[in-house]
Amino acid sequence: MKLVKQSATSWQYGLDANEANLLTLLLKEFPFTDLDPVNMSKTDQEPEAKEREKLLNESLVAHRNELKQSAESLLVPKKFKAQGNGMVMTVSSEERELLLQILNDIRVGCWNALGRPEKREPEITNLSAKENRNYGLMNVAGFFEHSLIKTEK
Amino acid sequence: MPSILEPATKPKRTVKKETRWNDDLAPTYYVICWNDPVNLMVYVTHVFMKIFGWNRQKAEKQMLEVHEKGKSVLIREGAEKAEFYVHQLQNYKLHATMEPAE
Repeated sequence: MKLVKQSATSWQYGLDANEANLLTLLLKEFPFTDLDPVNMSKTDQEPEAKEREKLLNESLVAHRNELKQSAESLLVPKKFKAQGNGMVMTVSSEERELLLQILNDIRVGCWNALGRPEKREPEITNLSAKENRNYGLMNVAGFFEHSLIKTEK
Repeated sequence: MPSILEPATKPKRTVKKETRWNDDLAPTYYVICWNDPVNLMVYVTHVFMKIFGWNRQKAEKQMLEVHEKGKSVLIREGAEKAEFYVHQLQNYKLHATMEPAE
């Protein structure tokens, strides 16, 4: 995946056929994992802190629903156009941010589902099909994140 | 006869001190980003630039502090703003919390 063109408001990336298939699959199937609750604070025991944490988790559920809608809206034909053997993806700056959030939701979600391993590659070979899938998704999402960001100046 | 530019009674200048005292008492919070092995370094830098409007140099410095020291205090703010930043960082799936400053 390579940056083809960038303007003040839009980004255009070239993807080969495999990359285009993978990225559209990620967007179609999102989300892949359940949403884990998060902590608002590690030390604050005040009642307000518990209320804040509740609000944060509710907000994250709503945000994931928004990301799911964004994933669907990114799959429209005008965003992905066939070119040669691959495709060209055109997104606005806002859509690019949402795409990054979708990809990192996949990445972090799979990592959580794997038990938050220290290493990004499996240390054992006899993984279950689900574990294999999660390692694969985590690394593919990371590849696309890196490709989206690496061209920034 | 007093000048028209000069009021007959002048306001006393004691109100501001009390307001400032109340502001000083309002609790503040550190917004902290914690290290994890899953978020890419380029991604963390990008998120800091986006959310705080920092330049790349500042964002990379904070990112490296998270990476090397396990955490970094990103900003100190009142409750509402600290909460806002934690929400923003968590939307990007960074491990961020707010901790009482004192």
